[in-house]
Amino acid sequence: MSKIMTVDILSSIKGAQPSETVNKLFDVIKNAPLTNNNSLNNVNYNCLSINDLRDDIVIESSDLEKQIIIENFPKQKKGYLVVSQVIED
Amino acid sequence: MESQIKHIHQQLVTKQITCTALVQEKLALLKENTHHSVNSLLDEMALTLAKKVDAKIANGEEIGLLEGIPFGIKDVYMVQGTYTTASSNILKNYKSAYTATAIQKLLDAGAIPLVKENCDSFGHGSSSENTIFGAVKNAIDTNLVAGGSSGGSAVNVAKDYTVFSIGGDTGGSIRQPAGYNNIYGLKPTYGRISRFGLMAYASSTDCVGPLAKSIEDIRIVLNVMSGKDTKDQTTIASTEIDEEAISNNTVKTVGYFKNFIDNKAIDPKIKADFLATIEKIKAKGIAIKALDFFDSETLVSTYYTLAMAETASNLSRLDGTNYGSRIEGENLKDTYSITRSENFSEESKRRIVGGNQVLSQGFSDEIYLKGLNLRDQISANFEKDFEEVDIILSPVTPNTPPKIGDSLKDPLAMYLSDAYTVGFSLGQLPTLTVPQGTATGLQITAAKNNEQTILQFANFLKDTI
Repeated sequence: MSKIMTVDILSSIKGAQPSETVNKLFDVIKNAPLTNNNSLNNVNYNCLSINDLRDDIVIESSDLEKQIIIENFPKQKKGYLVVSQVIED
Repeated sequence: MESQIKHIHQQLVTKQITCTALVQEKLALLKENTHHSVNSLLDEMALTLAKKVDAKIANGEEIGLLEGIPFGIKDVYMVQGTYTTASSNILKNYKSAYTATAIQKLLDAGAIPLVKENCDSFGHGSSSENTIFGAVKNAIDTNLVAGGSSGGSAVNVAKDYTVFSIGGDTGGSIRQPAGYNNIYGLKPTYGRISRFGLMAYASSTDCVGPLAKSIEDIRIVLNVMSGKDTKDQTTIASTEIDEEAISNNTVKTVGYFKNFIDNKAIDPKIKADFLATIEKIKAKGIAIKALDFFDSETLVSTYYTLAMAETASNLSRLDGTNYGSRIEGENLKDTYSITRSENFSEESKRRIVGGNQVLSQGFSDEIYLKGLNLRDQISANFEKDFEEVDIILSPVTPNTPPKIGDSLKDPLAMYLSDAYTVGFSLGQLPTLTVPQGTATGLQITAAKNNEQTILQFANFLKDTI
C-alpha cells in the first residue's frame, strides 16, 4: 500500500499534471484559520432517518429502459456486449 | 412582467391559439440556433404532446395550468429516449434510459419539453464556453458570454424561445446566467427538488431550479417540482407556496455583506447601483444591517476544493466501459486513460485532477477536511445572520459578462467571478436572482426552506426599484 500514485494514474488521464491555478486555491485553504471544533458537518444535516429508507426491493426495469442501456453500450459483437481486455498487476 | 404561463394558458383555453401552432413557432425559433443555446430538439415528442392538448381543448375538457406550456431542459437531465450529452464529447451519443424526477413531474403536469439546452460540460464553467456545441451567446449582446453553466437555458428564456427552462445550480449556475441575461433564476434549498436523473457534478450542492421571466412563473414551476422522492434520499418535505402568500411583504430587516461591496474587485457601477438599491429599500422603512462575512478568496477556494473532490469521484464512472465513447487501448487501464484523456475537456480534466489531489493521502487532512471545516464555519455564520435579518441581499456578480473567449484564457478569474454565488451553495440556502438593481441583477437569500419569503421580497422589489 506504500505505492505512490501520481495524479495521472489516480485520474486515469494520460499526462495529467496538477494545475497552478488549482494549487492557488489549495494554498488559500491551507492558510485559512481553523476553528477549534474538530467535528465535521455540524450544520448541514443531510443524513436521513431510518424510517425514511426506501423499501429494499428489486424494481424490474422496463423493456425500453433495458433496450436503451444496451444501445448505450460502447461495443457489441454478435449480440454480446464487449468489454476491454482485463489485465491484472 | 406578468406570468407567461397564465397568459398562454388563457390563450389556449379561449382558443386564441392552438398548442400545436405555439410549439411549432417556438421550435422554428430554436431550430435557427442563433445563440448556440440548443444541443438537441425534442420536436417529435413536443408535437405529439401538443396535438393531445389541442384534442383535449377541442373536446371541451379542462386543462391544467402547465398543460401545453413549452419549456427547455439543460442537457444534464435524463429524459427517456433523448440524448443527454452534458455538452461533453464522452457522452455525445448517450441516450437517457429513464427520466429525471423533476422533469417527470413537469411532464405529468402536461408541460411540453422542446429542447435539451447547451451548458458548460458537466456544469464545469461559468460562461457556457466549455461545450462541444459552441459557446452560448448572451441574449442581450451576442459578443458576450451567456454565463454558466446553465447558459443555454437562460438565453432561451430571455429570447422567448421557451416559456421557462430547468437549469442546475451547483455554485451559481442558475443565478449567474439569469443575471447575465436579465431574467429570474432560482436555486432552491438543497433537497427541496429531487436530484434523481440529474447528472451529478458536486452532489452536496447540486440543485434543480427554474429560470423564467416572472416571479409568478418561478412560483408555479417550483411548486410542481418540489417534494420528497425515495429515489433521492436527500430530498426534504416542503409546503406549497400560494400566490396570495407572496403578494404582501413581511420582510422587516435586510442584511448585506460589507466585504462584498468594499471589495476592490467589484465594478464601481455595480457597487453604486447596489448601494442605491439599499437606500431605496431603507426609504420604505425596512431596516438595513451590514454583515460580516468570509472573504471572496476563502469562499471560492472552499467551494472549488470540495466541488472538485466530488466531481472527481462522480465522473470516475465515465471510462468508456459501460457507456461513453470508448477509445480502445492496449488493455483495460490503457483504454480508461485514453478514453478519458481524449474525451474530457481541459476544464473538466483540471477539476478531476484537482479533485483527486484533494482526496489523495497526505492532502486530504490538509485540504479536504479543512475545506469541510470551513464550510461548517460558513454555514454557522449564515445561521447566526438569519437570527438578525429576514433576508440577505447581494449582487449576483462583481462584474458584467466578459467577452466570449476571455474566460477560457484565465480560469482563476473565472473561479473568482463566482465569489458572490458559491457561499450560498455551501450553506445550501435558497437564493433567487432578480433582473433588477445592478447590471447583472440582485440575489435574494433566505434561511433554508424559506422560498416563500424570497418570492415575497422579490415582488416587493419589483414595485420598489
